[in-house]
Amino acid sequence: MSSPPPKPAPPPRRAFTAPLLRRESIGESYHVLSFDLPKGLIAQAGQFVMVHGQEWGQAPLLPRPMSLLTSGTAPSLLIKVVGEGTRRLARANPGERFQLLGPLGRGWRPLSPGKRALLVAGGVGVAPLLYLARELVAQGRRPVVVYGGRSAQDLPLDDELARVAELHVTTEDGSRGRRGRVLVALEELLTSDVEVYTCGPERMMAAVAERCREAGVPCEVSLETPMACGYGVCLGCAFKTTEGGYAYACVEGPCVTAERVDFTQHAAVGKAQGVAP
Amino acid sequence: MSALGVEVGGLALKNPVLTASGTFGYGLEYDDFFDVAELGGICTKGLSLEPRLGNPPVRVCETPSGMLNAIGLANVGVERFCVDKLPVLRARGVTVIANIFASSVEGFVAITERLEAEAGVHAVELNVSCPNVTHGGIEFGRDPKLAAQVTAAVRRATRRPVWVKMSPEAGDLAAVARACEDAGADALTAINTIRGMAIDPETRSVRLANRTGGFSGPALRPVALRIVWDLVSAVKIPVVAIGGIGTARDALEFLLAGASAVQVGTASFVDPLAAKKVVEGLARYCEAQGVSVRELIGGVRSP
Repeated sequence: MSSPPPKPAPPPRRAFTAPLLRRESIGESYHVLSFDLPKGLIAQAGQFVMVHGQEWGQAPLLPRPMSLLTSGTAPSLLIKVVGEGTRRLARANPGERFQLLGPLGRGWRPLSPGKRALLVAGGVGVAPLLYLARELVAQGRRPVVVYGGRSAQDLPLDDELARVAELHVTTEDGSRGRRGRVLVALEELLTSDVEVYTCGPERMMAAVAERCREAGVPCEVSLETPMACGYGVCLGCAFKTTEGGYAYACVEGPCVTAERVDFTQHAAVGKAQGVAP
Repeated sequence: MSALGVEVGGLALKNPVLTASGTFGYGLEYDDFFDVAELGGICTKGLSLEPRLGNPPVRVCETPSGMLNAIGLANVGVERFCVDKLPVLRARGVTVIANIFASSVEGFVAITERLEAEAGVHAVELNVSCPNVTHGGIEFGRDPKLAAQVTAAVRRATRRPVWVKMSPEAGDLAAVARACEDAGADALTAINTIRGMAIDPETRSVRLANRTGGFSGPALRPVALRIVWDLVSAVKIPVVAIGGIGTARDALEFLLAGASAVQVGTASFVDPLAAKKVVEGLARYCEAQGVSVRELIGGVRSP
């Protein structure tokens, strides 16, 4: 397996304040938020921002890390409501002001010459992959995408994906596409001329990474970890690496080669500590 | 000295705003945001003799108006700090307070001696109060005798000002503070985080892999203010305040209570420019009120 081209240096990071331009709801749990930023946010596919509502005050205290769905003068984010911060984001009205810090971290590595991109998305993890798919299409390299969710309601922006990629959908309850998880669709697509990019639940990414390893196919994952700062000082976003020790998802990730991530250690934290019931 | 200038135990600072250890990296992470030499100074991430990997994740979680961390003092070690980080800070004219920790008195001395060989360190801050490590953390800060031993040993090893960072969990904090003062400390920093924990009822798991973590953020501020207030009357050496300070108004509370300088901590996570904004806010306040920061220190009026 030849090593893929290196990642370009990331653009400078800035602290912006910007009003919300639009909030579009997708079903009950998902929202696309775009911000009015005439100066423009220059970013790479796979990078993220820390977002904090200026009206939030001190609760929720910390900004939320969110992968960019688009950049430019109306950068946008895909939100899934999972807690207080995302609930506040999901209720925000146009005009409400936010602090955006970014672009942060390292984006997806470039696709090697002569290879095809195979994107594997799980639910809200679709955001940085849709960004990548649009960028690949602009380069004339239409990707193949496997998009999985629990049910048809958990596939936000599937229509947008279908516009730019060959889309294969899986749902666990069979309400859309093939019944099962992303692996059922991955098998026949995992040929030796593809490179895989994946973002979604950690267990899904671990399974995708394992299949890619067996198939000898390069795999890049976008990690999601709790973090406080997003720019390399809180050291909260440590992930266990296969070379031993920890790396920080906010500066070395969120997009990293799957070979570096020790998923066994990572997912087993709760159990290893003996704290689960 | 300008309206913002202060002196902390023999160390002149251009303004009273420092950044707290563990919340500001090594000061080199801010290149894209602002010139950290504008601050009164930075307290480095806690330095140990050898590099440390830190604790397994999950390491941080949010709490109401605060957060918990159990980083476990991950750091590059004093050697790499001296070689990779300090020369850059020195060239930029940053006032550097080196925060150090060890599991023995000898360890504290060894780190101090290594730093002594370098120019550009303006003071040494002893972390005798980390709640997240098994050895060499909080036990030094709880016992007046141990705290005094560490302070005295480091005092002998350096010409630079020695600050001791207090644990809020010492039973008799005034006794620990006086012991450090008698052992030669030039200033005290108060407070480090308080141990806390959080449990997720959905998974029935503790949220932090370390189970407990250090609690910080604005929710901590009234507790920190009360402790700083107590310490100011317990010792004659200056007290540097830390605990939920994120705005100029927060800083003013502590200065009025008697602190000689303040450290911005968790607020830098929310906004990398927080400390700079505190400096600017203090400048506006002093201008509007026609006072200097030095005149404000300890200037709180009784009810």
